[in-house]
Amino acid sequence: MKLALKAIGHSFLGRAVFEDFDLTLGNGEIIALLGPSGCGKTTILQIAAGLIAPLRGRVERAYRRHAVVFQEPRLLPWQTTCGNIAYGLAASGMDRVERAARAAAQARAVGLAPEDLDKYPVELSGGMRQRVSVARALAVEPDVVLFDEPFTAVDVGLRRALQDLVIAAAEAQSFSALFVTHDLGEAVRVADRLVLLSGEDGRVLARRTMQGRRGTRSDRAIFEMVEAWSREPAFAELFDPRRPA
Amino acid sequence: MPSEEAALSLSYRQGSRPLRTGAGALIRSGRAAAWLGRYVWSGWAGLAGLFCLAAAWQAGHELYGSFILPAPGETIAVAWQILHAPEFAGIAATTAERALTGFALAAGIGTLAGVVAGYSFAAMRILKPIVTVTLGVPPIAWIVLALIWFGSGNGSAVMTVVLASMPISFAGALEGVATRDRSLDAMARVFGASPLRRFRTVTLPHLLSYMFAAWTTTIGSAWKVTVMAELLSNTGGVGSELATARAVFDIPAVTAWILITVGFALISDYAILHPLREAVERWRSAGLPWGVKR
Repeated sequence: MKLALKAIGHSFLGRAVFEDFDLTLGNGEIIALLGPSGCGKTTILQIAAGLIAPLRGRVERAYRRHAVVFQEPRLLPWQTTCGNIAYGLAASGMDRVERAARAAAQARAVGLAPEDLDKYPVELSGGMRQRVSVARALAVEPDVVLFDEPFTAVDVGLRRALQDLVIAAAEAQSFSALFVTHDLGEAVRVADRLVLLSGEDGRVLARRTMQGRRGTRSDRAIFEMVEAWSREPAFAELFDPRRPA
Repeated sequence: MPSEEAALSLSYRQGSRPLRTGAGALIRSGRAAAWLGRYVWSGWAGLAGLFCLAAAWQAGHELYGSFILPAPGETIAVAWQILHAPEFAGIAATTAERALTGFALAAGIGTLAGVVAGYSFAAMRILKPIVTVTLGVPPIAWIVLALIWFGSGNGSAVMTVVLASMPISFAGALEGVATRDRSLDAMARVFGASPLRRFRTVTLPHLLSYMFAAWTTTIGSAWKVTVMAELLSNTGGVGSELATARAVFDIPAVTAWILITVGFALISDYAILHPLREAVERWRSAGLPWGVKR
């Protein structure tokens, strides 16, 4: 076990977002947290990241350090790619030379060119910025990575490449991950298990385990899982065009 | 990290470190030279604007004559004489000392107080109306009060500068801290940055863009208010010279002293604040089209 959320509940201004939510993240496991917008999945991720304290329940952590890949890249505009990737390393007190070397290696690992290292975020495309954001998270060699709908703003082809990058990195660095998304296909592709939340009251509608090892599932297998599950009533909310935004 | 990747990163570290420092120094000095060239070259555009102003001034002179508005050429000739007079250094030093002391105090205290207020909602609520009121008090009223409180001397001129221009720095710092990007702050917290590091890496660079605008106004108003205080209290410096010139109706001397004062303000802005800003905010110009770069 790496991370356990036990009976956590949270409310904003007295309105409960979710109650009694349980989740246990195992060693090397990737769990997708799925649900329509406004179901509280980002709140759960923020609680897991320690950014907000849950009003009820407790969080148990059995790891050294975690990292977050946010929905927006959240890069420091006044730092170069190198400085941004090394941000977490600098915060943990690594010296400048070692930091730069590690950032360069990590940049290459996420598919950035060496000349991008000296560029500022304004000079990078949206996809490259998200690559930098992924590299920043992976550079600290985290035990747990929290992804908050990281690839919603990038185009389909690039999304696939970035998903593959996450799958490969999880294999190489053997971290556990919580992957928040509202895309069932993405969840089935990158995760081992999925937890589906209701958009109405934040309760858990379904917990599923995906067949096969992540990264080795064929497009056809993924498509069939998505196809089969999307016909179930529990998943209907994800595809309901009339639900409030 | 798998052994293959570790080996790769290790070879990278060993292989490129000496190369990087040598080439890096060369690239850095090259960049600095390019930047200096661009900075000096951008002066031409400023000069063009100033010559347009001089042309309008000359036109005014042709219309109204020397007694109302001396010609730019005449003013420059007189200013040249003043600059070469033996007592000029002393006069300029007196005014510069007052203006720069006032600026340092106003910018220092104002910025510090503004940063504190920006972090605390309660302090912001209480201090904002106070700043609005102090900004509303005309500088000339502060001079009158300072003369009563401190008598005529260095103190009242500096005091007036501080009181009149501190609220500008304060308001800038407050606005800068209050509008910091909280999502970047959350990012920094996730990556384990200490409060001090978060201030240095997330809030400060954002704050500086507000501060340079505020400091430019502060230093400009420091010169103006100093000269005004000196003129009213007759305590030496440029203001006293201006008062004397006015008393004897030496209009070219009046315009010459005005020109010199403006020169001081321009020098302090373009020789101190602007290069500092360019150096600190290089990231900002990275994304701009070349025509916008100064």
